[in-house]
Amino acid sequence: MTRRVISLNVNGAERSVQVGPLERLIDVLRDELWLKSVKEGCSTGDCGICAVMVDGKLVNSCLMLAAQCDGRRVLTLEGLQNDLTMKRLQGSFIANNAAQCGFCTPAMLMASWDLARHSSKPSTEEVKVAMSGILCRCTGYYQIIDSVKQGCREERR
Amino acid sequence: MSSVELYSPTDLADALRFIEHKGEEVAVIASGTDLIPRMRKRQVSPSVLLDISSFQSDLRYVRQSDGGVSLGALTTLTDVLESSLFNGKLSVIHEAAEIFGAPQVRNVATVGGNVCSAASSEDLIPVLMALGARLKVISSGGERTVPIKDFVVGKRETALKPSEILAEVRFDYPKGKYWTGFEKLGRRNMLIISLVSMAMRLTLEDDLSTVRSASIALNRVSGRVPALASKTEEFLVGSKLSEKTIVEAQKVLATELALTSDFRSSAAYRMEIAQVYLKRLLLRCSERIRRETE
Repeated sequence: MTRRVISLNVNGAERSVQVGPLERLIDVLRDELWLKSVKEGCSTGDCGICAVMVDGKLVNSCLMLAAQCDGRRVLTLEGLQNDLTMKRLQGSFIANNAAQCGFCTPAMLMASWDLARHSSKPSTEEVKVAMSGILCRCTGYYQIIDSVKQGCREERR
Repeated sequence: MSSVELYSPTDLADALRFIEHKGEEVAVIASGTDLIPRMRKRQVSPSVLLDISSFQSDLRYVRQSDGGVSLGALTTLTDVLESSLFNGKLSVIHEAAEIFGAPQVRNVATVGGNVCSAASSEDLIPVLMALGARLKVISSGGERTVPIKDFVVGKRETALKPSEILAEVRFDYPKGKYWTGFEKLGRRNMLIISLVSMAMRLTLEDDLSTVRSASIALNRVSGRVPALASKTEEFLVGSKLSEKTIVEAQKVLATELALTSDFRSSAAYRMEIAQVYLKRLLLRCSERIRRETE
């Protein structure tokens, strides 16, 4: 099994990591770079809990080979700690009790951040579509939808 | 699984040379949304992965040309959704893309990958069958064109030879007064493998009620393979669309579907839904044709 060295820009920092052919992006992010906001749920693309941004697009990091990410730009929740939009969304999630067990929350925040970049006043339907790839096992969807709508609105204030 | 190698070719010619020699052991990987979990579950164990994801400039495009549309194999579902070509009459594509996976999957999953996965779970296959799509397949020896109905030959089996790669999906604009539509039923709206899906292209005569031609594809016709419902299509040609015709067409459809039961659904339920979808799409398409013509 040949390992290769890839370079990734992760949360703004250039990182070099050695990866095997079947290692996935999630493996590198969690196990090599210790970015634990990225969770592993189903490993088949059904739950979306591993969502991160790659080259500006929301993707499931369990469905990407790390070796295919050579030279790409990856953004996780850790990289948005000081981002104003993310802070508003987090505040809104807290205010609306949108986290129960919290396991899906990082991915929900990434998906809502991606939506907030494009839309300042999303409809309920738009929010549902944007969040449709992420499962919340606690069934707290309505609080999440309210939080996202509020967080997006506040962005352009 | 532990012995797999990943080959990243420098250009398309290099990829084709590589697959010509190693074809038998190679699995082509684009974004990998289907292949990665299947390898991890050991449903497939290729010894070499040929990574074609870097050929974005060669194989990722939505083009309108010569009375038709061409989609590069690496075109993502998000690209398809963002294209303005599939509103209106070709909405069958938009309707399928809209409920395909979920945003994170659509951002990377490719048209070519969906077609090559060749299973009843691949929503684009019935859509492209209903549009009579032709696939451009390339190898170091040249290229050939395969109609999609001959491309999917079994569950997870395609007409691709070991030395070939799918490069493009192309279909001509249908002629005459037509409309298209897509229906899919799953346990939830998104991120779901369909129990039944149906795509239709309906063309009416100038009287706006006689069927000139119909193209009807389902994710399952016989067993677990997507195909055209050709008997139902034949039955509809020349008949006037009425409540009675639709009931008759539903009976014909029932005779040609050989559905199976599994953990997702019983065969009987699948049949019920297929018949409902036939009626729904016939009514929806014919209604739209009339509205457009008025």
